[in-house]
Amino acid sequence: MSASLVTVFFVAAGLAAVGVFAAVWRRDLASALAGIPLIFGGAGVAFVGVARFAAAGGPHLLGHELAVLLGIASVALLALGLGIAGREGAR
Amino acid sequence: MDSLHAIGFYVSSGVSVIGALGVALIPARGLRGGALAVAGVGIAGIYLSLGAGFAAAVALICYLACATLVAGPRYRSVEGVIRPLWRQLGAVAAGALLVLLGYSAFRGDFARAKAVSEAFGASDVGRLLFAHDAFATEAIAALVLASLAGAAAAWRARERAR
Repeated sequence: MSASLVTVFFVAAGLAAVGVFAAVWRRDLASALAGIPLIFGGAGVAFVGVARFAAAGGPHLLGHELAVLLGIASVALLALGLGIAGREGAR
Repeated sequence: MDSLHAIGFYVSSGVSVIGALGVALIPARGLRGGALAVAGVGIAGIYLSLGAGFAAAVALICYLACATLVAGPRYRSVEGVIRPLWRQLGAVAAGALLVLLGYSAFRGDFARAKAVSEAFGASDVGRLLFAHDAFATEAIAALVLASLAGAAAAWRARERAR
């Protein structure tokens, strides 16, 4: 049993597409924000896969680095979006 | 990639996609946050099976934080004004995106290479982040700062206006 770069890209495409689906399908905009981490996760998986299966030279860590940055950026964007949405309460 | 890593990759992929579908389809906030946590565990597992241990640890923390935010009961629901037809078209476009990305991955002509990175890689990734690509790291740090400050300011302004 083995996995190739194409397999990694399929999984990444699935995550990104489900993230886009979650973002557009939700009527509640605050809930739609939950699609952002999935889209970024799909991109991160693709980057890590490219780093893993890169052909030339030694270890390529740029994909790892981008996955780390995308994870942090997803938390930041989600926090910003939910902060703008505001706190639930009597108005 | 050996069999153990391949099994870990496929299991983690299934977990992440199931969690992602839960995020898209589950209506309750708490369960949706739980599904996002499951997706995060799956994504971290994918990173780990691909030899990116440090990225897996960071992703796990970040996705658990995202899940906590999404599951929180205190943020306000904001109803969109987009008509259902556009939402349905967006869903169809998401499916088309999946087909397009899958087709491009399937038709892509990639070199067959042996996997090279098996280490945790924290020091190497840290060196890249803070020495080689410090500008990108600073940009993300600025984004985090702006997000936290903006979120806090928006939150407090709404509280004061109430």
